[in-house]
Amino acid sequence: MQQKIAEIKIAFDNISKYFWRHKEYVNRLNVFPVPDGDTGLNIALTIQGALANTPDNLPDNILPGEFLKLISDNMLLNSRGCSGVILSLFFEGMTEVLENNDFSRENLLKAIENGCITAYNGTENPREGTMLTLMSELKMKYSEIITTKVNPLELIIDCIPHLKETLDKTPDMLPILKQAGVVDSGGAGFLILLEGLEREFNSRKTPETLPLSVALKINSVLKDLLVKRYLRKKRSDTGTLVQSLGAGNISNTRLHNIVHNVQQYLKNRTHNHNNKYPTREALKKDTKEFESSWNPDIRYRYCTELTVSSDKDIDSQALKEQIINYGDSLIISGRGNTYKIHIHTNKPDSVIKNIYLFGNIILRKVDDMKKQHRNFISYDSIEYEKEQSVFCIVSGEGFKKILQSLGADYVYDYGKRKPSVKKLVDLLNSLKSKNIIAAPDDGDILMSLKYAASLCKANVFIVESKNAISLISLLMGKTNEINKTNFLFRDRINNIKHFMISKSAKESSVDGVAVKKGDFFVIYNGKIFLSEKTLKDVAAEAINKLLNDESIITVYKGLHVKGNNLAAGLKNKFPGLEFEEYYGGQTQYHYYITLE
Amino acid sequence: MNKRILIISADNLGIGIDQVPYQHFEYLKYPVLVGEKEYRESETYSASWLLERFVKEKITAKSSSLSRAEMTDLIEKNVNNYDLIIQVVMGSNMSAATFNIAEEVKEKFKDLIPVINIDSRQVVGGTGAVLLRLIDIIKTTDDDETIKKQAGELVTNTFSYYVTPDLNYLNRGGRIGKAKALLGSVLRVLPVIGLMGDDPEGLIIPVGQGRTFKQVNSLIINSIREKMNEKKAEVITVAIISGDESKRDAIDDLKREFEGSIPCKNLIYGKLHLVEAIYMGPGGYSVSVCMK
Repeated sequence: MQQKIAEIKIAFDNISKYFWRHKEYVNRLNVFPVPDGDTGLNIALTIQGALANTPDNLPDNILPGEFLKLISDNMLLNSRGCSGVILSLFFEGMTEVLENNDFSRENLLKAIENGCITAYNGTENPREGTMLTLMSELKMKYSEIITTKVNPLELIIDCIPHLKETLDKTPDMLPILKQAGVVDSGGAGFLILLEGLEREFNSRKTPETLPLSVALKINSVLKDLLVKRYLRKKRSDTGTLVQSLGAGNISNTRLHNIVHNVQQYLKNRTHNHNNKYPTREALKKDTKEFESSWNPDIRYRYCTELTVSSDKDIDSQALKEQIINYGDSLIISGRGNTYKIHIHTNKPDSVIKNIYLFGNIILRKVDDMKKQHRNFISYDSIEYEKEQSVFCIVSGEGFKKILQSLGADYVYDYGKRKPSVKKLVDLLNSLKSKNIIAAPDDGDILMSLKYAASLCKANVFIVESKNAISLISLLMGKTNEINKTNFLFRDRINNIKHFMISKSAKESSVDGVAVKKGDFFVIYNGKIFLSEKTLKDVAAEAINKLLNDESIITVYKGLHVKGNNLAAGLKNKFPGLEFEEYYGGQTQYHYYITLE
Repeated sequence: MNKRILIISADNLGIGIDQVPYQHFEYLKYPVLVGEKEYRESETYSASWLLERFVKEKITAKSSSLSRAEMTDLIEKNVNNYDLIIQVVMGSNMSAATFNIAEEVKEKFKDLIPVINIDSRQVVGGTGAVLLRLIDIIKTTDDDETIKKQAGELVTNTFSYYVTPDLNYLNRGGRIGKAKALLGSVLRVLPVIGLMGDDPEGLIIPVGQGRTFKQVNSLIINSIREKMNEKKAEVITVAIISGDESKRDAIDDLKREFEGSIPCKNLIYGKLHLVEAIYMGPGGYSVSVCMK
């Protein structure tokens, strides 16, 4: 039996590897229900997660049916995105039947039927033209040819040509696919998995397709040519280039037709033919429509995925009712005390709050689909190199070095001039990161950072930090908390008790504290706390008043402080405490002082 | 238990040899090189001896893999007295050479006696925790396959957290793994690194960082609780705390926090051996927990 289990494992592993090689093809097809652009990756990670979480040390007496059930349970828990969840549900339904270890062709038909039922029932508003359609067609075709072969896997393989035809018809079922000139990505992913299965028996060719970004760029060149350059009297070099493009190599049918028509149009003009082909205006319209087909109105912006777990069984119906009105594409899967939820919504925070009513959220992922889409279609699209980066904006060379050494991926030292929105957009884009946690050292930068975040091509999670110490605080603590998926980092900025010291430029009385011109004053918790004539006195007095059970006092010296070792002076006053002094280089305050 | 089982390990357990509650236990000593001179654990050459020299004389030291000849001799000496030998070895990703030697020796004796090599995926207390739980297992079974399977579960459910004030000691030994991210801080920080038994790569990972011992101790306790939730473990079966005795206050604070907030059947206050001082460096301490 161990041998059989090992064979199944190898087969799954090979199919998973096969899919990984084709995931980009599937990613490029993704336009339904909204352009997440990661269907291929989601399916790949769903399968990989299932395999990675299946234990190596299985009981000796485990049977293949039980093993498949184990994989399907793990697949469901590790599923990502709509397609990953639907695929998991289908497999879950199949393995519920196969758990009886009957692998006859008749029982496999029952399994496929149950897989379809589970997948359709688990999907909110199931629509045809998607992966579900291919599952349903597999059931139909398998049933039709069931008597032709004995081996049920060969029967599945024999269904593949029919499923390819079905996939080609998905644009007729969903207008958005037709508009975009692609087939359904989830359906294509499902077919690739079946082809991977076939490959376990035979070999197959890798499908080739034009990357979407290239297709969009070709379209943009055509549009540019038609809108601007052709107005010039001198013949355009771009026109020559377009005429030499091999339209036959463009697999996207819609773009193929546009290229062909533009070529004909150019040829007609050159040779002075007449009115046989579409006019320039009609062609301009075609290129604009092609471009806009990739910019649909995204009604619900955030693709939100959560896994909720509780001590007791969760009422999935109540869970569904609680969040169904927050968006669309809702999928709830799981059983017992653990459920996985996928929803597209404009209010991810509200969804999260509501789900907390049912248990602890053990995993969460929120993707801004507009952002991903904008990057996807732009001419200067960014190839993301990292999943996540931490970006700090700070004044002071010393703090820049400190934050970098504590693990910030990029620190921008703005000195005295706060960065512009454009500068921030450029910096955010230059990180080439899909998700960015951005934190400034000044509340005054927050507005421009928020605007920059809306313009850049990454998902930006802004931490409303207001000084350099809160940035240090952000980077301290548990490494895995700095993670966009759990948002815990937002609570970390206030973990370090601290105050600032500055010198008064005029006589004043604020927050009930009188400050004379030239005196030093302490700001604590956003208010003037006390003032004294000398730096050492004001620092010592503040420490005295604020000290509880802290043991380390850290002094961060500002840019304009010259030759003053404050820490050494304070050590004499507080011999029981440990003092450290660092150069912060900040311009706003003479000193930041922390108590830890 | 009908079979006569010998357990072999090394002086890299985070506990003293006298704290191993098993009569048929033998251990090897890791060679430690200071300059060109080789040292082995003894009353004179202890962890505190090396840690003191690190601080006062700024010496550098490195460990070597276990001696193939010594391992062979030890098995040869016992081959006729036992029916099964189990070797609990430090993580193969931390010392591939030692695990390879153990495998070669196993192959050499395959016709004479069955040898099970357990890759603990751990060092210091983590290896000790796997060893102590293995002793519990062989009280209930002497079937080779069952032992192997259950030992595998122990390994994937054992987790270690190390406070290493100076990561350069680990870095010099080439074992820093993913914790490299915590190196080179301008601020004086206390890095916490970990070895997670459920990580097949078996690499050292960064767990977090803090400025005070209180902060990092709380961080460790939170991390253990988080891991228990993830593993759905209600109780720690065995925990080993050990470290540089010069940081006794910090270690005691960790012990107090642990006792006060983590349900544990068997909390052991261990000790470091000579070779372990190289991994931990001055001021280093650790807690290892087994959840199976």
